[in-house]
Amino acid sequence: MKTAIALFIGLLCTTAVADNEFNLLRSDASGFTQVSPGLELSFPADHLPHPDYRIEWWYLTANLTDEDGQHWGIHWTLFRQSLRPEPDPGGWQSTQAWMAHAALSTPENHVYDERFARGGISQAGVELTAEGRFDAWLDDWQWLGTGTEPLPGTLVFTVSETRVELDLSSQTPWVLQGDNGYSQKAPSGQASAYYSQPHIDIAGQIQHNGNTFQVTGSGWLDREWSSQPLAPSQPGWDWFSLHLSSGDALMVYQLRDTQAPNTLNGIWVTPDGRFSSLSGDQITLSSKGETDVSTRAGTRKMPLRWSIEVPAHKVDIEVSAPRADHWLDTLFPYWEGPVSVTGSHQGKGYMELTGY
Amino acid sequence: MKTERLTRIVWVNRVLLSHYRRHPLQAIFLLLGLTLGVALWSAVELINGHARTSYADAEQFLGADAHFWIRPTGENAAVSQQDYIRLRRLGFVELYPIIEARLQTREQDWLILLATDFMALPIADAQNNSSETATPFVGDALAFMTPPFQTAVPESLASELGINPGDQLTLTNGQRLPPATLQSRPQQGERLVVDMAAAFEVLNRDNFDYLGVTKLSASREQALRQALPEGLILTRNQQSLDLQELTDSLHIQLAAMGWLAFVVGLFIVFNAVRFSLWMRQATLTTLREMGIGLDDLALAIALEALFWSVLGTLLGGGLGFLLGNLLLPTVSSSLGSLYGAIITPTVTLTARHLLQAAIMTLLGVTVAVAGPIWLSARRSIRQQQHQTLDQQFQPRQLGVQSLSAVALLGLAALYYFQIDSVSDGFVLLALVLFGSALSLPPLLYGAFWLAARSMPASWWRLRWAMRDAFAQLPHLRIAMMALLLALVANLGVSTLVGSFRIAFTDWLTVRMSADVYVQSATLDADALLTQAPLKVQASHARTGLNLRWQDRPTEIRGVNTQAPDMRSLPLALSEPNALSQWAEQGHLRPILANEQVHHLAGVNLGESVSLPTDTGTVDFQVVGFFHDYGNPYYAFYLPKATVSQYWKNAQPMGLAIWLQDTNLQAFEPDLLDAGAEPGDWIDQRQLMSVALQIFERTFAITGALNTLTLGVAGVALFAALMSIHQQRLHQYAHWRALGVNQQEWLLIVGGPLAGMVMVTGLLAIPLGAVLSALLIADINIIAFGWSMPLNWSWHPVANLAILTTLTLILTGLTALWRVQRQLPNALIRLGGTA
Repeated sequence: MKTAIALFIGLLCTTAVADNEFNLLRSDASGFTQVSPGLELSFPADHLPHPDYRIEWWYLTANLTDEDGQHWGIHWTLFRQSLRPEPDPGGWQSTQAWMAHAALSTPENHVYDERFARGGISQAGVELTAEGRFDAWLDDWQWLGTGTEPLPGTLVFTVSETRVELDLSSQTPWVLQGDNGYSQKAPSGQASAYYSQPHIDIAGQIQHNGNTFQVTGSGWLDREWSSQPLAPSQPGWDWFSLHLSSGDALMVYQLRDTQAPNTLNGIWVTPDGRFSSLSGDQITLSSKGETDVSTRAGTRKMPLRWSIEVPAHKVDIEVSAPRADHWLDTLFPYWEGPVSVTGSHQGKGYMELTGY
Repeated sequence: MKTERLTRIVWVNRVLLSHYRRHPLQAIFLLLGLTLGVALWSAVELINGHARTSYADAEQFLGADAHFWIRPTGENAAVSQQDYIRLRRLGFVELYPIIEARLQTREQDWLILLATDFMALPIADAQNNSSETATPFVGDALAFMTPPFQTAVPESLASELGINPGDQLTLTNGQRLPPATLQSRPQQGERLVVDMAAAFEVLNRDNFDYLGVTKLSASREQALRQALPEGLILTRNQQSLDLQELTDSLHIQLAAMGWLAFVVGLFIVFNAVRFSLWMRQATLTTLREMGIGLDDLALAIALEALFWSVLGTLLGGGLGFLLGNLLLPTVSSSLGSLYGAIITPTVTLTARHLLQAAIMTLLGVTVAVAGPIWLSARRSIRQQQHQTLDQQFQPRQLGVQSLSAVALLGLAALYYFQIDSVSDGFVLLALVLFGSALSLPPLLYGAFWLAARSMPASWWRLRWAMRDAFAQLPHLRIAMMALLLALVANLGVSTLVGSFRIAFTDWLTVRMSADVYVQSATLDADALLTQAPLKVQASHARTGLNLRWQDRPTEIRGVNTQAPDMRSLPLALSEPNALSQWAEQGHLRPILANEQVHHLAGVNLGESVSLPTDTGTVDFQVVGFFHDYGNPYYAFYLPKATVSQYWKNAQPMGLAIWLQDTNLQAFEPDLLDAGAEPGDWIDQRQLMSVALQIFERTFAITGALNTLTLGVAGVALFAALMSIHQQRLHQYAHWRALGVNQQEWLLIVGGPLAGMVMVTGLLAIPLGAVLSALLIADINIIAFGWSMPLNWSWHPVANLAILTTLTLILTGLTALWRVQRQLPNALIRLGGTA
């Protein structure tokens, strides 16, 4: 579940954005293919774009540690958007548009950048190379698989003159969210196709301020596409992806709703990759107070401390962001950054807060 | 104690200001003078300031920084998509693609179309600005970037071309631009903007003209240079600096005209203040007799001055703002066509502008008020009671004025040999103008004194009229000086513009002698010339390139020395046989330069110029200077073979064709057959009219400012006449009582006035001639490097004479009407006081 959605909306129109940048997510999706129950995912084909659907993303977050024990956070996303529901003529008149975000939580600060590109002109895309390798790129930001799958692969990007080169691999199968990959977002039927890889092993190097840091850690990849995932009454969401010290992975999100109870969902993944979906009644999620976050538009109150209870897995934890300065003042602003886990389990993860 | 004084001063102020309730006209004239002067001055300042700010914008392209350009060289006429994408994928995200195309609509309007990829355009300061200004997606971004696309048309251009939202412009080749939407992006100027996808479709292209590059650090610049493929070069964008330098002269000229208007406006204020103080002398005396101290009185008058200046600031600043916006399109179109400067279409009112206006009004009021106050404050109460306005003007003053006039004119004569910058030139003009203005009152006195003396005693009415001039002169001398200034400036500038028009038209006729001019990427010129030999009398294909010489943009042109337009090239200055020497290209490498090289770069005939070539710097000897009106750059002509010898990347620069018979329509099929596309050629008549259009536009602002200044002088005259009659009403009543009838009154009062205007007008003619000579022979050459012969014409003189006479009659009639209306009352009062 991602910000992503929000972001592309900007491409559509500023007048709507001025009101609420998330409007696209609620607008009529007629003409685009709808995600429907009974969806069957197949790999590696589904790693590639689904241009008949309005929006789609490849979304990586990771917590890394260097040789000195310093923490580094990574957040890299490629968004695809279909600008109009018609066959793609390709070239400069392509219906496809791309946007990428890269953010880096360094030991001393938070740097990020955003980029845009139109489809059809080879400046950005996700496809198989001539040698049959998975390739997702925008300009020189690139995720290149060694084969048809994104994993194993390498991710290379530069943000604010800091260069990141990471080797990514995983031993566990893809995790299909919701009902076999069909993820319902609202009682009225809004849904997305959603799968993840919560156990990505990462090793690589970061060149920062003239030094090279060798880093290792674990990452989480989310893949999602949809044509209309939000109900009109849903202003935003809170999303958590956590790596627990037990080796298990937990993902929880809630879609806040102004007219109905919040939609709450999650998934529990064991260290060997077995997963079970969590329904709303299995999860208790509550905010533990607000923190001032400074943004370009002024100071905002953000809930940066939460408590999560999942009794079925004996989880009773507090999730908090050690650093508040992870607001992304991109075209479509949101908060995304590393969190630490205390309580019944220890751990690390990433949190995303939108619509505040 | 303090509050007591405050109350006293407020009270004095109320007494003083009550004067204007009885004489609202004086208040109106005072304000009018201030407002008009400040408005014209601040309109010019506003335009200049706005234009200069826009030059800084030349470092930007539609909101993105443009510190460098990547341009194709040599055979490459364009940047390929592959090269661009390759550079982006190497991480050079500082790049964005640009198409800049000149198009002609079916209605024969020439327009410039810009296109870029708005998804890739790196809007400047996206991280620092608010998201509204930072977003590349202005307006309905989706519609802009998806079929059927949109054309962004600035509102001013839309109204000029009569375009409504949704309209589609049709080009000469039949292609239609996307539907228009009225919007203007940063630095768009008077140009159309479309998305790159739309441009590719309309122009039937798949490559870019050049790439824009944002700021680069030294190491990034180095990296980019190394990554550039063969055929592309990275150049620094120096347009902003160039524009500041090139347009400087034009702005100084505008500023000078603004100052002139301000000074003329000041004359009105000066007159109005003098009158209002004079008329309040009784009040001032009474106030002093009542025990109000001089310091309090001065303070009260200062407060009044402050009151007027605040009012003047608001009115003058506001009017200046309106006027600035009104005149801006003219200035920006000439800046655009002369220098390629892009000026945003509306001036915005800033605090700085209002502050400037405030300072100027305060300065104006202070100058106008200080003198009279000083005089009246210093006089004793006794003196003041018995003073009339006639006595204020004394022969001693006349002497001082004559001496100052002589001093100023003498200084001007000395200064003449010192001028070497445009500002110097205007200082000289100011000296001449004010010296002449100061000499006017003594001249008028002298003229009337002589006239009165030389008349036989029996012409008593006329002699009376001549003597009456002495009563009118103190009031009218300032107005006459204002009139003289305006007339002289008008004559001088009209002569300059007229001379330039003649020189420019003659020059165009020689330089554009070909029947048709073709600029086409697809034309096979050789095929055209071999296929239609019977129709073509002569042709001239030029090559060229632009480089920097003496730190200015410089054009090198490779020409055919035997082409008709080259054999008759009009040279401003040349060595004997310059053209044949140059055509033969001896070992000294003779070169022709435009006269800007002579006047602005200081190169003399026979001297060498060192030009940067492919193989290093090479010296060429200048054998002649050709006229090159309207070109802000340096230019050099060499035979085509010489150019290709020294500069491999010289590009074709169009083809001029002289036809056997001038029937262009019969020739058009041949052009099409040879690969040219409709819209690729323009006939001579059209080209001439475009050139002349640019010329007229350039001088439209001068004409407008001139007329406005003359208008201000007319108001000055009117104001002076009004006050004079107001003040002399009791005198007229006396005359009437003595039996002077209306005709006699008209002769006595109107005669001198007409005489003064005539003397002023006659003096303006030689002074106007001197001014135009200075403008043409000195200032214009220093400013633009264009020399031309002075063409004196009596046409503007006649125009001005008619205009002045009309003003005179109008003001005279109004004055007469007012006097007629007030006379009965004055007669009654006369009876009362007698």
